[in-house]
Amino acid sequence: MVLLTMIARVADGLPLAASMQEDEQSGRDLQHYQSQAKQLCRKLNAQSPNRCTLEAGVMSFHYVLEHGVCYLALCEAVFPKRLVFGYLEDLQTEFHEQHGKKVSTVSRPYSFIEFDTYIQKTKKTYIDSRARRNLGSINTELQDVQRIMVANIEEVLQRGEALSALDTKASNLSSLSKKYRSDAKYLNTRSTYAKIAAGAVFFITLIVYVRFWWI
Amino acid sequence: MPTESLIGYGAPVCVDSGSDQDGYLQGCTQVKCCPRSLYSLVNCPNFPPQLSAGPAQLSPSLSGLSLQSQTPEALRVVNLLQERNLLPLGPVTPPTPCLPQDLQKINCHPEVFRSTLTSIPQTQSLLNKAKLPLGLLLHPFKDLSQLPVVTSSTIVRCRSCRTYINPFVTFLDQRRWKCNLCYRVNDVPEEFMYNPVSRSYGEPHKRPEVQNATLEFIAPSEYMLRPPQPAVYLIVLDVSHNAVETGYLDVVCQSLLENINALPGDSRTKIGFITFDSTIHFYNLQEGLSQPQMLIVSDIEDIFLPTPDSLLVNLNECKELVQDLLRSLPQMFGKTMETQCALGPALQAAFKLLSATGGRVSVFQTQLPSLGVGALKSREDPNQRASAKDIQHLSPATDFYKKLALDCSGQQVAVDLFLLSSQYCDLASLGCISRYSAGSVYYYPSYHQQHNPAGVECFQKDLKRYLTRKIGFEAVMRIRCSKGLSIHTFHGNFFVRSTDLLSLPNVNPDAGFAVQMSIEENLVDMQSVSFQAALLYTSSKGERRIRVHTMCLPVVNSLSDIFAGADVQAITCLLASMAVDRSVTASLSDARDAMTNASIDSLTSFRTSVLTIQQPGLLAPACLRLFPLYILALLKQKAFRTGTSTRLDDRVFAMCQLKYQPLAYVMLMIHPALYRVDDLTDEGALNVSERTIPQPRVQQLSVEKLSRDGAFLMDAGSVIYLWIGRNCNPNFLTQVLGLPNYAAVPLNMNMLPELDTAESQRTRAFVGWLREQRPFFPILHVIRDESPLKASFLQNMIEDRTESALSYYEFLLHIQQQVSK
Repeated sequence: MVLLTMIARVADGLPLAASMQEDEQSGRDLQHYQSQAKQLCRKLNAQSPNRCTLEAGVMSFHYVLEHGVCYLALCEAVFPKRLVFGYLEDLQTEFHEQHGKKVSTVSRPYSFIEFDTYIQKTKKTYIDSRARRNLGSINTELQDVQRIMVANIEEVLQRGEALSALDTKASNLSSLSKKYRSDAKYLNTRSTYAKIAAGAVFFITLIVYVRFWWI
Repeated sequence: MPTESLIGYGAPVCVDSGSDQDGYLQGCTQVKCCPRSLYSLVNCPNFPPQLSAGPAQLSPSLSGLSLQSQTPEALRVVNLLQERNLLPLGPVTPPTPCLPQDLQKINCHPEVFRSTLTSIPQTQSLLNKAKLPLGLLLHPFKDLSQLPVVTSSTIVRCRSCRTYINPFVTFLDQRRWKCNLCYRVNDVPEEFMYNPVSRSYGEPHKRPEVQNATLEFIAPSEYMLRPPQPAVYLIVLDVSHNAVETGYLDVVCQSLLENINALPGDSRTKIGFITFDSTIHFYNLQEGLSQPQMLIVSDIEDIFLPTPDSLLVNLNECKELVQDLLRSLPQMFGKTMETQCALGPALQAAFKLLSATGGRVSVFQTQLPSLGVGALKSREDPNQRASAKDIQHLSPATDFYKKLALDCSGQQVAVDLFLLSSQYCDLASLGCISRYSAGSVYYYPSYHQQHNPAGVECFQKDLKRYLTRKIGFEAVMRIRCSKGLSIHTFHGNFFVRSTDLLSLPNVNPDAGFAVQMSIEENLVDMQSVSFQAALLYTSSKGERRIRVHTMCLPVVNSLSDIFAGADVQAITCLLASMAVDRSVTASLSDARDAMTNASIDSLTSFRTSVLTIQQPGLLAPACLRLFPLYILALLKQKAFRTGTSTRLDDRVFAMCQLKYQPLAYVMLMIHPALYRVDDLTDEGALNVSERTIPQPRVQQLSVEKLSRDGAFLMDAGSVIYLWIGRNCNPNFLTQVLGLPNYAAVPLNMNMLPELDTAESQRTRAFVGWLREQRPFFPILHVIRDESPLKASFLQNMIEDRTESALSYYEFLLHIQQQVSK
């Protein structure tokens, strides 16, 4: 069962269209997955593998990248992969035909939200077991589905986090070293002043001594 | 110029006069220090110029005296017992806040955002002394002819209080701005430096955000918890015997058929239907069916959805089936004998159907629900209506409707209730379903297709507006105000989530809100305070938008200035909302006393603290001269009147309206406008899009003003009466009404014939213009002496004495007695 479908622009992770989740019917709280999906869309870039499955506990994310657009679906882990990718390919073809040219120009999130109607219809044909038989032809084209890379969602999301953690640590380090530098400078000047002061006291005593007692 | 003024405006805040407590002194020091300051006193009538000469010597009372010598118009003392003609020639205009002109020019429009006091007192004790309520009245989603819309990837907001950048913030320099609500200094983001309107760089203060007090943002994806929902409409219809008898089904189905293409939405719009009597009927409208399929669920104890995914269908794809259903629906139940009605289970079913997406439920109900959960019993005793000392049963009989409404609110479902009935329906209980889910309530007493044609027309017109008006889904609204002020009570239809966030599953352009405020910390070194209402909603096209209104008001430290800035209409409306709450929580007589006391207290305070020369009579400042009149009008309003027979539902509905309607309509409900229309001329007429609209002057609401040889039009908001005098000018009868003489005026005449005469055109233009100004459709009743409606016409003559209520003059005497005690 496909629980969540999202189409986003890869360049900046801007969501273009999505299918409403059916909270009540599936009885699951999808908020967590929803935010993971958003994060994922932001993480993906042109270097990411074109087709990939990401495991997230009992669920799996599947995505297809094509023409700078990411097509993402969330399903139960047991749901046949071949069907999901067939479904995503289907969406990709239709979306590219309808809106492909406008993708790079939009700035408002969910600009093509009306594509939802098509998503829902397609979803129904893939989920409905009776209609599924008619899809045999599509399935054969996707024989190589087994070779699609599998990774873990946490790893993918954390890869960025680890980098950003490293980044913050590095910047912390640099700011600390800057502080050290300024502190050291300050200490240096203070000790110089102390030396000068000591010398001055010595000389004044000397002069006073010479002035009053020497002569 | 705005640069300098904004910086100049900020400067006085930095100049702190330290320990000095005298506010006048402060104002003046600042003016001296900062000659550019916008508080240069030129445009401030409340700050007489001679004060700046030697203010240090003036004690507050003396400065009050000097104010007297140069009294601004708002503070002109009026002896209410002597001056009878208090009504202005045209509409009552709200006072203008005493702000520098260039700030006032961009301030929020009073129709959208209004404060009861346009000058905010410095301390709570000063406010207590003035005895006037402090609050805001809002009409946030009002249809606007001009609304700047801003699309930008980052919306600039204050980092600590999350205020949206607005015209009243201060730019410290090019790179930093100071929030006008919490006074935190924020950075100006790089993107904000570029102005897309003038295509120039480095002028952040010229951006539309800083030039408009009302504007709309297209929200980026951070403002969405889920993808924007589609427009979803669910129609729930009562089809019991009683309902079919009234014949309302025809009107609803016909209206829907006519307006089906005008429903706000896009290609995702969904629609569904439920009908109910003692069972619940669903309609399968799945694409591909040859005709709609009716599914009956008779188990109303444990309601379920027979086929979850084909009851709510895409309107564009299944339009034919929907139209089919609408055409056959009125006949389907023609011969029903079922008298029971299971409203509660039907509402539960509606909630189940919409909970996945959210949306709007429109419920049409014609009788007291009698089956299943939420069944009610009649609580009204008609014989006690007039004589009862106190009105019972203003609070709901069951909390089922409130609980369900809260569930609905959580799932972004709003329920609008249309009540068409001739008998008691317990609106006090049923109304909760709309109240907490931010819906609206419509009430058509004694609706019947044949017996009440005026009601039918009104229902039709209202329905058309209801179906086609703008709508916002899954909305929330937050009202922020400057540090030191706090909002403590909200009025309107919504649910308050997390102290100050109003949850509005639906928001419509006809909804008004009111809030009460208190002053928590003294506003000593502030020149002005600001209020910001931000409404985040999903448009029917699936766009997430934020509408932001910001209002700025001056802070004053003397009672006379507070009185000078009092907005009598806003005060009346806020008091009305407070009184509704009081009558539900305490009792009606309590609420009535509280309203009378409000006028007594404020006038006493004016007399003792502001006036220095004591004169006999009942003295009021000119800006509050209508206050006792409005209070008396409220006491005689349907919601609060006693002694006259008022049906409980009528009363509760009037209360709902007082809380829910925007100020302009509430004012007409409270104090109708009376015009003489038999001698309309083009003199002083308005010209609106090439039509000439005569502007007769507003008359006092007293029978004394009616003359038998004239015709008078009374505009009471939701109804308009045209009273024809017995000796009315025959010219008017023939030219406007198309009738030969007075005797020929029919008893139930509801429209003006379209005659090709100048008089007829003028009258129709005037009535049409009155109707255009409000979103609902007021029925016109032509009334002569024998008409049954004459009584309700005369009840609106609030200045006159009735057997159970004081006349205006007696009321004034009563107030005077209390004031001079």
